[in-house]
Amino acid sequence: MLSSIFDIQHSIFNIIIVMQLQLQQVLPVYFENDHRTQSEVWRHDLTFTKGEYVKIVAPSGSGKSSLMHFLYGLRNEYNGSILYNSNSLKNFSPEDFASYRKDHISIVLQDMRLFPEQTVWENIELKRQLNPFHPAEKIREMAERLGIGNKLSSKCRTCSYGEQQRVAIIRALMQPYDFLLLDEPFSHLDDKNSQNAMQLMLEESKLRNAAIIFADLERIDYFPFTRLFHL
Amino acid sequence: MQTGTNTSSRWFSYVGLGIGVLLLLCSIQMYINIQQLLGGDSPRKEGYDYISISKTITNETMGQLEKNLFNENDIKDIAAKPFVQGVSPLIANRFRVQLSAGDIIPFSTDMFLESLDNNFIDTVPPNFTWQEGQNFIPIIFSSDFLEIYNVFAPGYGLPQLSEATASQVVVYITCFGPNGEKQTFRGSIVAFSDRINSIIVPKNFLNWANNTFGHTTDVKASRLYIKTKDANSPDFLSYLQQKDYKVNKDKTKFGRIKQVLQGIFSGLGIFGLLVVVLALMLFSFYLQLMIARSKDNLQLLLMLGYSPNWLSRNVSKQFIPVYVLVVLAALVFTEVMQWAFHHFAMFDRPELSSILHWSVLGTAVVLIALSLFTNYRMVRRLLYKLV
Repeated sequence: MLSSIFDIQHSIFNIIIVMQLQLQQVLPVYFENDHRTQSEVWRHDLTFTKGEYVKIVAPSGSGKSSLMHFLYGLRNEYNGSILYNSNSLKNFSPEDFASYRKDHISIVLQDMRLFPEQTVWENIELKRQLNPFHPAEKIREMAERLGIGNKLSSKCRTCSYGEQQRVAIIRALMQPYDFLLLDEPFSHLDDKNSQNAMQLMLEESKLRNAAIIFADLERIDYFPFTRLFHL
Repeated sequence: MQTGTNTSSRWFSYVGLGIGVLLLLCSIQMYINIQQLLGGDSPRKEGYDYISISKTITNETMGQLEKNLFNENDIKDIAAKPFVQGVSPLIANRFRVQLSAGDIIPFSTDMFLESLDNNFIDTVPPNFTWQEGQNFIPIIFSSDFLEIYNVFAPGYGLPQLSEATASQVVVYITCFGPNGEKQTFRGSIVAFSDRINSIIVPKNFLNWANNTFGHTTDVKASRLYIKTKDANSPDFLSYLQQKDYKVNKDKTKFGRIKQVLQGIFSGLGIFGLLVVVLALMLFSFYLQLMIARSKDNLQLLLMLGYSPNWLSRNVSKQFIPVYVLVVLAALVFTEVMQWAFHHFAMFDRPELSSILHWSVLGTAVVLIALSLFTNYRMVRRLLYKLV
């Protein structure tokens, strides 16, 4: 009896350790120290855990994209540290980052970052092949659902921003992840499309029991956040 | 990966690499051919060359005995060289010697005698010995000298002699001292030598006679006999040249040719190596350019989570087959050249082989491995910078 309790505790302990993304006193090096007083994120110790829905409300210039880039490991111009599984991202090797992005963390960037000369389907498939969470047929299904089913064979540079945004969202959902980072994912989408996409992302995250960290300019009603921060 | 439109630099580098590798491999193979053709593999007595050397007598040294003779230091210096397996001075008489053939052949002449260590003489019969008090002196006579004698003998009304007859002739050797001392010995030819152009008597006799009639014991030789593994070895020849020693030209003629040919092919090989290095540099510039041009795409792939190692392997996969192909093509060309050289120029001489030497194959493998390794590392380094 005692040992089984201990086991449960042990496994809970394990889960917590494995599935945490921690910020410790993080502040971009290009920020003034006065951010410390206003922000609920910069220069704070935060821990994000799997299954949480975190909403970060951030006005322009507050460093929303910087935070997302830091968490994804695209940039490292910050003081303090970001830990995944208690390992600092600053100590990650290029290979570590590759597996981090392949298996544990997914992102929808504000600037989408698609291959302009490849088709929509190719852009998504390129991500799916890396570490398939879904079969290839799922691409068409999701594209239909988000209203870009007829665009699959078009080159991305011919797509509108709204369409590209939906391609980036579907691409982010092709892999397994513990954390889904969203950096203004709906900036070019109308409310109906946004809700539609949000619904898909919530379903997919639930499937993985993953956390969503959603950064946007203002609060969005259809994101059922469990925690809220002002950047 | 987009390789861009400018592929000409890539093809130039492939062609350059091919030419460089071909030059390098051909040079190595020809170098080995020369070794095999002119090297010390031809059958010889006991596997050694015996050659005599003397100091070159120039107008400046003429008349200065000290400068024209080998002293003990010279002999020690030569003996210490790694390409010399033995050295023996050819010691000459330091007194007057007269040779007469007695009554049968009315022939008498001033002569010279020399002595040499027995193991440098090709034919040493068991009776080639002398003890003090012994009146009979065994002589080893140069075959060439007998030939010369037979050439001029008829002109002087002398009988021509076969080797067998000459061995039976008893000659009288008269030694004269400076103060009028004189002693006559009986001598006869006990053997003929092809190797040594001289009249050889037992060493202890000449030492005794030099002491008795010439009143000297120093070892000063005008000629040295050298025992060497390869009289054509470039090291040996350059040593002789540097010391200004004269050597039997015939014996080392091949050596000169070998030296020149090896020089030429070493030069060609170095040139080939330079071309290889240039081609590799050109190719690495091309790779860098290609990666710089696809930087955005590569960065995007890395952002998506593609492993830089996997990507560099993929980039490398594009040039590995071409590299291997280029070197293999050069190898085939070299093989064809070697076969043609062996068959048409050398008429299938048994010393050579139509098949390439293993070291040529080894060089090709090393070249492939080296170029693949360096390029793979470079690609990986560039990709790591993009993460």
